[in-house]
Amino acid sequence: MRIVAEHLSYTYQPKSPFATRALDDVSLTIEEGEFFGILGHTGSGKSTFVQHLNGLLRLPPSRKRGKKSPPAPNEPKLLVGEFDLTQKKTDLRALRRRVGMVFQYPEYQLFAETVKEDVAFGLKNFSDKKLTAEETEKAVREALSVVGMEYDEVAEKSPFDLSGGQKRRVAIAGVVVTRPEVLVLDEPAAGLDPLGKREVMELLHRLHSTWCKTVIIVSHDMDEIAENCTRAAVFAEGKVRFCLPPAELFRHAEELTELGLDIPLTAKLCRALERRGVVLDCDFTTEDFIRKTLALMGGKP
Amino acid sequence: MKDVAFGQYYPVPSFVHRLDPRLKLLFLIAFIVAIFLASNFYGLAVCAGVLLVAILFSRVPFGKVLRAVRGVVFLILFTAALNVLFYRGETVYWSWGIFQVTEEGLIFSAFLVTRLVLLVTCSSMLTYTTTPVALTDGLESLLTPLKWIRFPVHELALIMSIALRFIPILMDETERIKNAQKARGADFESGGLIKRVRAIVPILIPLLLSAFRRADELGDAMDARCYMGSKNRTKYKKLRFTWRDLLAFFWGAALITGVVLLRVYMGAPV
Repeated sequence: MRIVAEHLSYTYQPKSPFATRALDDVSLTIEEGEFFGILGHTGSGKSTFVQHLNGLLRLPPSRKRGKKSPPAPNEPKLLVGEFDLTQKKTDLRALRRRVGMVFQYPEYQLFAETVKEDVAFGLKNFSDKKLTAEETEKAVREALSVVGMEYDEVAEKSPFDLSGGQKRRVAIAGVVVTRPEVLVLDEPAAGLDPLGKREVMELLHRLHSTWCKTVIIVSHDMDEIAENCTRAAVFAEGKVRFCLPPAELFRHAEELTELGLDIPLTAKLCRALERRGVVLDCDFTTEDFIRKTLALMGGKP
Repeated sequence: MKDVAFGQYYPVPSFVHRLDPRLKLLFLIAFIVAIFLASNFYGLAVCAGVLLVAILFSRVPFGKVLRAVRGVVFLILFTAALNVLFYRGETVYWSWGIFQVTEEGLIFSAFLVTRLVLLVTCSSMLTYTTTPVALTDGLESLLTPLKWIRFPVHELALIMSIALRFIPILMDETERIKNAQKARGADFESGGLIKRVRAIVPILIPLLLSAFRRADELGDAMDARCYMGSKNRTKYKKLRFTWRDLLAFFWGAALITGVVLLRVYMGAPV
């Protein structure tokens, strides 16, 4: 599913002293098959943007216009696959089945008595017919296995008895169990230790190559973006400032720092080397950086 | 969910916002007393006038004030309907079985409705113009005499301010959990009563858990900073009376006097 957003704006609590403009004329296209990163400071509008993708936030109703008059040049537009979210009548259920959304700290949304029931929650909500116990078990088993958990071990446990990292994986399983084509994750690795972070990122790659065609992650961990994403958009004050592959994005170190964002460790090292006259043309992934450094030093990778 | 904004602080700089919270609390009590003392429409008109001036001076938009009434509109209509149908009077317009619509009944319900609207409006004016912190500070200060009988005034004020502080946080949390479950296909808007009640469970359980977690964390944070209650504790913001408060005080005194005079000289409406 291709995602096309044009001239998207959103204001929280409009017409009140609390009014805050979260999105300001955002245009962005995300192609099918991308591992897309969304960067930005707290309050830059990134979460607001992703909540539009499955219709949790809606576009403000467009002004009525006559049938004859052509659409205004900067009319907001939002297409997610074949779903046109500018239209008031959109089948949100069908949309949400195909665009999975994992919120920040998804473990706080667990509620059922057993892991099995919790993972099956979305499955039951979205299926058009009543599922048999076998069908449910099969789907839950697969979802748990794709997030790296053993069904026979945890299915009957209470989700609240699991460790933090396990809870998060169960919560992710609860979203991917319906096999969404697009998976959106808001800070999927926040609050995890380095090992937990790596596990989550590995799990996302596994999902990307198997179940979900497009993966979109919201993050402010630059290393995470540099390692994993095909492209990344930088949000600041409700606007998109950059939308580039990481290899190009992190050359704009100065602008990013001005926006209060960090750059990946590899980019910092490249800059330090450049100041000493060594130009290292790498794409800022750790692997590429090490390989090029070794090549430069005349060593064998 | 966002419409539960009933009584949420409305931050604009105004005369009323800058009044001493103690005075505003006393003013509210005086106002409620005045509403109940008012025995006819003239008395209520005086109250309404006073309230109108307060609203104008507070710079809270009228729409916002009316929204507070919208929250209890069902209660008001229900009361009015009961009174219209059951009030016994002389001039009968319509009757059917035990129901009877009389002129007196109509007047009396109009009186009651006005009274209820005024009550709701004036109490929401207090919360629109006073931050929760100021409110509990004021309350604590007003209740100080109770300390002599060892009543835990400070603790009570603390409980109140924590409760008030957490309302918006828990509301945000509810919204967040609701969105997360909606993204998993939860449906809160359709189905019969039982289905809807059951649909709340996936929100309620995470919400309760998070409330307990937050309570624990807050308790730990307070312990870590050696919070010991009211003993030897000073305040960051001292409450002081100013000329504004004096003005408002006279305004309130005039209101009470006016209403009492009207009650004495004009009698009951019905």
